Order: sequence, then structure tokens, then C-alpha cells
Amino acid sequence: MTPAGRYPLGALSDTRTHPPVRAARAERTRRRKPLGLVVIPIVLALAGVGLVLLLARGDGGGIPIIGGGRSEEVPPFDFVVRKARAVPTAEGADAKALAKEAEAVADELTPILDELFTTAFLDPAAWRDGDYEAVWARFSDDARAAAEESVETLTLGRAAGETFDAVTPKRGTLGFEVLFDPDGDPISAVASFSFSATGVRTDGTATRILSSGQLFFGNPGHWRITAFEVERADREARVPASPTPSAT
Amino acid sequence: MGTMGTRCDRRGPMGGRAARRAALVALLLMAWTLGSTLGTTPGGSAARALPVLQLERARAGYVPTLDGSEPIFILALGSDARPGEEIDGQRADSIHLIAINPAKHRATIVGFPRDAWVAIPGYGTNKINAAMTAGGPDLVVATVESLMGVTIDYWALTWFDGFRAMIDDIGGLRVDVPFDVVYAYARAEIPAGPQTLSGKDALAFARARHALPAGDFGRSENQGLLLVSALAQFRAEFAKDPSRLLDWVGAGLRNMRTDVPLDQLLRLAFTASTLNPRKVTNIVLPGGTGMAGGTSVVNLDQAALQAIAADLRDDGLLRKGTIPPSPNASLLGG
Repeated sequence: MTPAGRYPLGALSDTRTHPPVRAARAERTRRRKPLGLVVIPIVLALAGVGLVLLLARGDGGGIPIIGGGRSEEVPPFDFVVRKARAVPTAEGADAKALAKEAEAVADELTPILDELFTTAFLDPAAWRDGDYEAVWARFSDDARAAAEESVETLTLGRAAGETFDAVTPKRGTLGFEVLFDPDGDPISAVASFSFSATGVRTDGTATRILSSGQLFFGNPGHWRITAFEVERADREARVPASPTPSAT
Repeated sequence: MGTMGTRCDRRGPMGGRAARRAALVALLLMAWTLGSTLGTTPGGSAARALPVLQLERARAGYVPTLDGSEPIFILALGSDARPGEEIDGQRADSIHLIAINPAKHRATIVGFPRDAWVAIPGYGTNKINAAMTAGGPDLVVATVESLMGVTIDYWALTWFDGFRAMIDDIGGLRVDVPFDVVYAYARAEIPAGPQTLSGKDALAFARARHALPAGDFGRSENQGLLLVSALAQFRAEFAKDPSRLLDWVGAGLRNMRTDVPLDQLLRLAFTASTLNPRKVTNIVLPGGTGMAGGTSVVNLDQAALQAIAADLRDDGLLRKGTIPPSPNASLLGG
């Protein structure tokens, strides 16, 4: 069938034993196996690393499976109360009894302030969207508008979600002065506070959030902030070693 | 070259393509993963600008002041009640009308000579200080309202011991004493110049009149000066530590009587924190001494009284032309 003379004799000779096709395939297979063993694990490893990073980040409001990154977890925070002092308005008032009452008022106001500062600075569900409604609800009708206008000073800010990845509390201290009416009932209280937290920004840098000042409370029983004087003195900070929230 | 050849030989042509594909897939996967992790997609990162972070000092404040549309009138009274005596049943030897203009952060203090011969509603004509003996603070309020044609919002009454304790409770009162003051009765000698007066010395300064050329007129102006000094000190302390407001309110309430409801008192205190002490005009109604039925009295300068009252009514402030000369002018060198 093959025209003679075009190929060297024997080159296409039917007399060849036919090992060649199967053997060559087998040979090729033998040669490919090591490559698959090398490349596929690399791809899988890279995919795995990517998945881990993605889950750890919890981007876009997702729940992080691995700690750190854009955590949606609310870090626990409690103020430490340094003092609670009574200010009597009646001559010859029972100082001891009022001191106890002042402590009771401090006990009443401290969890309110824990919650207030948690919402204002620590709860990702609030600062991620700049939604501080729960903070404003703590202000009297008169003070609320001024408080909302001061959102950037009183809270982490409207654009905190674009700025921060995580915020963890560092320290919070409180001191109370409680004014009593002549009958010994509390009428007003001032909370002098100092609060600090560390915010890790989306660019990887960090800032120390420092807030201090005084909050005047009125309307005992349904305590509301009637006046305030607050200062922010944020500064650059080192990125914390661990993103794990730590309680004060 | 030799090495390359060897490697190609070892992998073979099919192995090379698979490796390249796998590497490409891995690279794409890595790029996608990193892109997702960083919250951007390649090429989109430039559009995402970080907001400028607040790293400067910032402050926010709010105080609930009284409404600024109308002046607020408060009558400050000092009873000459001695220990054990009924405080509001004695003469009011210190009478000051305080007019506050919250909108302009200014105020006026008008002192009334205690011997001013005036009409006391329901009690004929008498010295103004007798109004409290006859009807307590409310009658003094009615008397001053009738005299000045204003509606007084609140009154506050203190007494010797109360005044002294009030000053001590706030830690003393910083006063720039304008001239040497001697009050022999309390053996007090207060030199001119800025100083912190104790309750005892502040009371001596408030009571001294014999060494003053205009007597009770000069004393009334000094009492007004104590009020202005208290305002300046309160404002400075409030600016430094707002919680001091409670200490001042507490010290005031423990040592005075007033018809100001507590919540309003707090608002008044916040309002006071916004007043500029340099913009407080301190005057004493002018007049001359005379006799009425054998009693030495002060006849108020009616023209000056009418002008001051008319000027004060609308906004609680006095124009320069209405302000009478200081009764202590000779001591002040003016």
C-alpha cells in the first residue's frame, strides 16, 4: 500500500511489533503523574489560603468564621467607677445616707453608659452603617439635636464603616457627682468619663480613640443626658498584636 | 540551555501546558482571593478613598440655657437676720435686681439703697428694706416690680451665716478688690488687688460702709461686684470642669432660700455659664439723703430711676447714657 521508495524500508513495516502506542501512552502517563502531583496541590493550597483569608475577613457584613479582621462581634466593655459623690442641697443633710444614695445612682447610670459607649464606638452593627439611633435616644429632647450635630465627636462617626475594620476598647473610667434635692432624692448627676479604644483602619494602620468629658443627666428614673461637654483627642497608634477584643 | 533542555525533556510537551494552565488558574484564583480579601477588585482600588481621620482635638458641647427672647429678672436679697432670727422676717439690707439677657450673654445688676423711701404695695410708703419685715421676699418683689415696672421671675434670699458658708463651700471667692476696705466691726482689713476672699472676708467686704464716702450706695456697688466676681469665677470653673456646676448649685441651695424650682435653677446655672462677666453692668440707683418723719431716708433720683427702669424693661440692658456714675468713683479715681 505504501509506495515503495518513499520511506526507508522497515520504517513502516508491518513486521514491527506494536508496542509503541500503548507503551508511549503509558510512558507519557508516567511522565505526567509527577506534574499533577505538584500542581494540583498548589492550586488547592492557594484556593484554601484564599478561602481562609476570605472567611476571616467577613467582608460585606458576613460573619467571620475565623477570628480577627472585620469582626461583627461586639467587644465586651465595662466602665470602671472611680468615685460617686453626693452634693446635698439641704443644710445638715445626712452625708452618709446621701453617699450611699449617690453610689446607687452610679450603679444605675454605669450600665447605661456602658451601653452608650458600646453603641457609639464599639458595636460594628452601629458604626459600620453610622447608625447611632440608640445613642441619641439617651439624650433629652432639648439636647438631642445638638448631640446629633456632634456625631463625629460623640461617636465613631458616620463614615466609620469605611474607615475602620475593627475597634477594641482599651479603658474607661467614670466619676459621678449626684445632686440631691432637700428631700434626699437625686435630681441631677454628672458623669465625668474617660474612654479609650483602638481602631484598626482598613489600610492596616491604627488610631487610639480618646474621648473624655462630662455628661449631665436629668430626669431621674428615666435618666437622660441634658447637657454635655465632650472632647476627642484621637491620635495615631500601633496596630494591636491581637485583634481579639479585650474587656476593660 | 542544557538545564532547560533537560527540564523540558523530563516534563514533556503535554506536562508543560498543564502546568502553565494550572499556574494560570492558581494566579487567577489568588488574584480573586486577594481582591476579595482586600475588599477591592483589581482596577477598582483607586476609586476607594479613605476618609480623612479625625486626629485633631475636637469638642462638642451643649447646655440647656433659658429662652433668649425675653430678659430674666431675679431679685437677690440679703437679710440682716442674726443667728436664731427668722430669716425672711427681718429687713432686707441688700437688694439687687439682676436682669439677664440670655441672647446677648449680658446682664445688668441694679442695687437699691436699703433706705430708699418707696411705696410698698399695701403698706404705704416706707424704707424699701422694711418690705421684707412686712411681707417677706414676696412683698419685696412686689415693691421692686412696682418701682421698676418689670415682672420679676424669681427671688433668692441669703443671710450673714448663709453668705459666709456659701463662699466657703465654693472654696473662696476670687475678687479684684478695687480699693482698700476696712470693716472695723469684724476687724477685717482687705487690701486692694486681686485675691481669694474667704467667706468671712467676703462678708466683711459686703458689709463695710462706714469707710466708704457714699456709705450704703458704695456698699451696694461692692455687693454687686461680689456678684460679678462670683459669675466670673463660676464661668471659669465651669469651663475647666463642668461638674463644678453641681457644687455651686448645692452651695447656693444649702445657704439661701429661693422660689426657683430646682430644674429651673439648673437651667439658670447653665445660662450663667454663657454670660460674659465683662458685659455685666453693675449700678446703684442714685439718690440723696433726706428726712421722712424724723427718720433718715434716701430719696431716689426719680428722673434717673425712670430712665433706668424704662431702659431695663425691654431687654434687661442699659445704654451707656443711662448708667449713673459709680458711688465709689472717688475711690476708684474716676
